[in-house]
Amino acid sequence: MRDQLSLLTMRLPVLLAALVAVAACTETFVGHQVLRVVPQSDEELQKVQELQDLEHLQLDFWLAPRRLGLPVDIHVPFPSLQAVKAHLEAGGVSYSIMIEDVQALLDEEQTEMLRSSRQLPLSTETFNYEAYHTIDEIYNFMDMLVAENPNLVSKLEIGRSTENRPLYVLKFSTGGTNRPAVWIDTGIHSREWVTQASGVWFAKKIVQDHANNEGVASILETMDIFLEIVTNPDGFAFTHTKNRLWRKTRSKHSGSICVGVDPNRNWDAGFGEAGASGNPCTETYHGPYPNSEPEVKSIVDFVKSHGNIKAFVSIHSYSQLLLYPYGYTSAPAPDQQELHEVSAKAVAALSSLYGTKYKYGSIITTIYRASGGTIDWTYNQGIKYSFTFELRDTGRYGFLLPAKQIVPTAQETWLGLKVIMEHARDNLY
Amino acid sequence: MPGLRASPPAFLLLLVLVFPRGSPAAPGAGQELEPGSRSAVAAARVALHYGNFQARSLGGLRALGQVRKATLKNIPESGHKYYLQFSTEDYRTGEDAGNCLATVLYPKKKSPPVVSIKCSHTKDKKEIQEEDNRFYQRIRHQSKPITGNNIPDSYGNIEPALEPVWALAVAGSSSIMWEKSTETLGYFLAQVKSVRQWVRKDDFTEFDYTVLLHEIPTQEIISCHMRLTWLPGHPLKVKHFCASNADEGSGAESGSAAGPSAEKGAKF
Repeated sequence: MRDQLSLLTMRLPVLLAALVAVAACTETFVGHQVLRVVPQSDEELQKVQELQDLEHLQLDFWLAPRRLGLPVDIHVPFPSLQAVKAHLEAGGVSYSIMIEDVQALLDEEQTEMLRSSRQLPLSTETFNYEAYHTIDEIYNFMDMLVAENPNLVSKLEIGRSTENRPLYVLKFSTGGTNRPAVWIDTGIHSREWVTQASGVWFAKKIVQDHANNEGVASILETMDIFLEIVTNPDGFAFTHTKNRLWRKTRSKHSGSICVGVDPNRNWDAGFGEAGASGNPCTETYHGPYPNSEPEVKSIVDFVKSHGNIKAFVSIHSYSQLLLYPYGYTSAPAPDQQELHEVSAKAVAALSSLYGTKYKYGSIITTIYRASGGTIDWTYNQGIKYSFTFELRDTGRYGFLLPAKQIVPTAQETWLGLKVIMEHARDNLY
Repeated sequence: MPGLRASPPAFLLLLVLVFPRGSPAAPGAGQELEPGSRSAVAAARVALHYGNFQARSLGGLRALGQVRKATLKNIPESGHKYYLQFSTEDYRTGEDAGNCLATVLYPKKKSPPVVSIKCSHTKDKKEIQEEDNRFYQRIRHQSKPITGNNIPDSYGNIEPALEPVWALAVAGSSSIMWEKSTETLGYFLAQVKSVRQWVRKDDFTEFDYTVLLHEIPTQEIISCHMRLTWLPGHPLKVKHFCASNADEGSGAESGSAAGPSAEKGAKF
C-alpha cells in the first residue's frame, strides 16, 4: 500500500497531465466516483485519514473522517481511483461506491430539471420567449409559426449538418418572384445562446408586424426576409447535452482526434490566412478547406443560387459591437464610408431603447483580425450591406447571459436590424 | 453673422496633427488613443482585474464602464505603457461605482503586466466593509461545507445562496486573469465550473475552485484550478494552476496541409 502510493508520486506528472487533459477535453467529472467508508476501528480510521494528507490525489471529502461508525464520503477523481482503492483494500478497509460516475449523475439531474419544468406550448402565442430552448423546441416553434401563418412564412431545408440534422431557414414573403432579400442568421457559434433565442423572437416579431401593418410590414412589400435561427444545430445540441461552452461544428476531419471547425473561419475569404488557426484542436480552426462544413456550404449554395440577397446579417455574442468587413485584411472595404454611416444609425437606434452601449467599425479594427469570416465572403460576393452583430453583454455574464435579458436584447437589436433593412430597401443596387 | 472662432472640426484637425495616430509611439512621447479602441479597453480591463484582486473585498468588485481617456507610451527597454481614465460599475448591480485612473505596463519579457490603479468610490468604505461582513457571515453560517457546480448555470442563473461564493470566484480569478494578460491576450471569467469549501479551524474561509476563463482573441476556454483563502480585511490568497491547451490533441498530426505554415494562431 505504501509502495502503491510512492509509485503514484513517481507517476505524478503523468497523472496531472491526464487530469489536465481530461479537464481540457471534456467535462470535469467524467469517471469520478464517490466512495463511502464507515471506519469500524482506529486502524481503519487512520487509513482513511492518511488519504487526506495526499494532496496530489485531489480528493475531496464530502463527509470528512470524524469518529468511528460515522460515514466518510470521498469524491475521487478518475486518475486517483486505482490508488485510493488499492490503499483501502490493502488496509482491509471496506468501501462502497456511492456514485459510479459523478458527471453522469450531474447530467441526469440537469436533464430531469429541465424536463420537469417544460410543457410543450400549443402555439407561438404561448411560447415562452423569455427562456432558452432546446433544438426540438425551436424546430417545433418554427413549424407552429408556419402553420399559423401559411401565407407569409415557409420553412426551407437548405442542407444537413455533419450529424445529419436538418438546416432550416424561415422565409418571410408577401409574394413576388425572387424578390431582393435580407438574410439573418443566428447561432452559428453554438454557445452564443442569446442569439438563437433572439432569432426566435425576430421570427415572431416579423409575423406580428405584418399582421399589424407596422414595422417591417413595409419592408415585406418589396423584399423577402430569410432567417436561419439554428445555424449550427450539432454544436447547439452539444451545448445542451455535454458542453455549454462549445463553439464550433461537430465535424471530424482525418488526422486529428479533435472535433469541430470554427464556422466563422471556414468561408472563402482570406481562408487560412492570419486570423484563423490550422490546429484542429483550437476554437478558431478554419477547417481543411473552405466550405468544408455543410453548415457553411449550405448557406454558400443558397446565397449563390438565390442571387438577389441585398443585405446579410450574421449574429453573434458577446461584446456589444456592430461590425462590417473586412476581418482578413486591413484594407478598407470600398463601401466603408456608407457602411460606417449605416452602422452609426443602427447603433443609435439600438441604444435608444435601453441605453445599451455599442461600438462599431470594421472587424479588423474593432475586434481583431479574423480570416475566412462569413460577412467578408458575402461582401466579396457583392452583398454590400454585410454586417455582424455581437450582442449583450460585455463580459459580466458573457455567453451565460441570464434569460431575463433575452427579450430586451432581441428588442433593441431588432431596432438596429430595421435600420439596416430599411437602408437596403431604400438603396437597392 | 459667422464668428471668427475656429469651427470645432478645424480644431479637431489641429489636435490630430499634433497627436498623429497610426504612427508608432516614439519613445518618451505619448500617443493619444481613441478611448473606445480595443487596446485601450483591453488595458483598462487588465487594470480592473488587478484592482479587483488587490481590493481584497467582495463588496467593492467593479466591472468596466467606459474608457474616457487613453494614452500609450513606448518605454524603451521596458515595454508599452498605457495611461487610462475610465468609469466603472458595481459588478453585482451594474450601478455607477466611480472612476479610476490607472497605468498598465506590458513588459517586453514574459511577466504579468505592471499595474497602478486608483479609484474613486460611490460606496463608502464602511458600506463595502459591511457588505463583505455579510458575505462572510453567509459563508460561515452554512451547516455543511459549501459545494456548487456551474455558476452561473447554462441559463445565466446564480443561486442566491451561492452569490458570495461567486463573488469570491470573481475576485480570485481576477488575479489569474491579470497575471495571464498580455497586450494581445485578454480574459473574461466564463463560468465557475465547481467550488468546494475546505473547512478550517481558524476564521479564514478556504475554497477549491475550477474556473473557466474565456481567452480573446483565441476564443479558447481555459480551465484553471484555484485554491483561495479569504477573511474580510485581509489580502486574498490565491494559488492557481491552469490547463495548457498544448495538451489537447498532442501527438495527433493535423491533417491540414493548407497554407505555407502549419499553424497560425488568431493574432493581430
